[in-house]
Amino acid sequence: MTLQGPDREAVPEQANRLGIDGIEFIEYATSRPQALGQVLEAMGFRPVARHRSREIVLYRQGAMNLVVNAHPDDARVSATVDGQPVISGVAFRVQDALKAHTRCMALGAWDVPSHAKAMELHIPAIRGPGGSRFYFVDRWKEFSIYDIDFVTIPTVDPAPPALAGMRYFGVVQYIGADRSADWIAYFERMFDFGLIPGDKRFGILPKGTLMHSPCNSFLWQLIEPDPLMDDGETLECLQRLGLGVPDVNAAVGELKSRGVEFVESARLHPEDRGALTRTVLGAVSFELVHQVE
Amino acid sequence: MLDGFGMDTITLAGPLEAKLAAMADAGFRQVMLSARDIVGNPGGISAAVAAVQDSGLRPTGFQVLRDFEGLSGHLHDYKVDIARSMLEMCAALASKVLLACSSTSRHASDDLDVIAADLRKLAMMAVPLGIKVAYEGLSWGRTVNEFTTSWDVVCRADCPNLGIGLDSFHIFAAKTPLDSIEDLDAERIFLVQLSDFMWHDTPSFEERMATARTFRVFPGEGVHSEQLADMVLRLHKIGYRGDYSYEVFNDDYQQLPMSVVAERARRSTLWLSEDVLHRSPPLPAWVAQH
Repeated sequence: MTLQGPDREAVPEQANRLGIDGIEFIEYATSRPQALGQVLEAMGFRPVARHRSREIVLYRQGAMNLVVNAHPDDARVSATVDGQPVISGVAFRVQDALKAHTRCMALGAWDVPSHAKAMELHIPAIRGPGGSRFYFVDRWKEFSIYDIDFVTIPTVDPAPPALAGMRYFGVVQYIGADRSADWIAYFERMFDFGLIPGDKRFGILPKGTLMHSPCNSFLWQLIEPDPLMDDGETLECLQRLGLGVPDVNAAVGELKSRGVEFVESARLHPEDRGALTRTVLGAVSFELVHQVE
Repeated sequence: MLDGFGMDTITLAGPLEAKLAAMADAGFRQVMLSARDIVGNPGGISAAVAAVQDSGLRPTGFQVLRDFEGLSGHLHDYKVDIARSMLEMCAALASKVLLACSSTSRHASDDLDVIAADLRKLAMMAVPLGIKVAYEGLSWGRTVNEFTTSWDVVCRADCPNLGIGLDSFHIFAAKTPLDSIEDLDAERIFLVQLSDFMWHDTPSFEERMATARTFRVFPGEGVHSEQLADMVLRLHKIGYRGDYSYEVFNDDYQQLPMSVVAERARRSTLWLSEDVLHRSPPLPAWVAQH
């Protein structure tokens, strides 16, 4: 399965030196975990486990894991933006986490010190844009990392099905003016992401530069500030998640019935190709994108 | 009229706040910051960062990372650590450019591809911090001592946030032909430092070092004024519209009142912008509004 559908031609495979194989989890940091939890539950995520030593809750639906980190040290990054939740980390599934981390460090990445307590997993990480982190996880086939660091919440289904077939489609990263070339070079070198030609677009927000993961299972979108908007220095951050769905209209209907609101303006509104949820809590929105099964 | 030109903190003697005030009083709007001036600030780094912010001067860049490239093993790891600290200071100062000078170390490799790989790593380190790295060839650099070679290395490294820094002193000291400026891509020149000196020949590395560190003068004050004007015009011709900064190390200027030295820098700027570049005066404010 690729984003482009089954290959019809024998095209040589691109390099994937970290053995990236999808997104293991997304992390939000917030000083208001309950408020964010409500938003996530409306989107179909269910709380399934709590971290043993830190104030972190694991949400899940289908193949998507999402952790809400309200540990004071980590949530500080959220407090600096008026308590708005921020996407504070993306964990990549890789062939070998230590090798991946070592390779990235040799290429010039910034290390993130681990806070693992006794018997907890040390998940190697490097710094991403803004205060975010990129984690490397290699234990996802034989057993789950969450079994070690998290305690299951009693009575809940540990594997709730995905609402409307949702799955991780991509991450939108806001970048500074004239910074596209820098970040493209960074993602090409660090993670073997590949540039997607400018005429190939997904969803309903056709801005910025698109890159694809070497495993072709998720996209990365870089968006510079609008040159016509004189908003001075814009901070760089991981801005929102893209969620792939087989049927956008069905997903929009189902989410609306759960209280999720969508942007519905003349220019931007739900279409067959995609839809954008209204921003809540000052910063949280999700982009639905039509994705062939 | 001084837009696009700035002084270096290294030229003036005294506390950082007074240096910044002297530059602003002379009409400058930007400043090239030296790590020494930031770290040596009596109030500490955070006070230095606040002083730069309060001065209203835009950082032209932050200097200087030395002897970074070409090392191996523990020397390489040590320099990577140093570079990380320099990058963090550079980011704290909201400076968009870190100046890195070519290595003088006997322990460094002279393989241009090895040098390029190290600079590529430095550039990757700088990406998340939003910093560009300007690589400058010192005229006494062991392997890279002319801008033609630093440009070669930058091309080999092929990173959008890695470019070259030019310094007129090193170009004149090494007698690099200015024709080679035509081979440069103006977009990848991240900084141009200007200064002159008082004699025609500096054949040995020792003479270059001694002159460079104690007896540079502002553009228009030395014996290479024609070449300096030629260099600036050639840069203009290939499309360079970035910053110029005066990298003037001068023992005399270190014992003169800051206002006197800043006035010399101002005179130098007027010579460059009016007599050399023939810059148009800025349009009146009402034009910009429409």
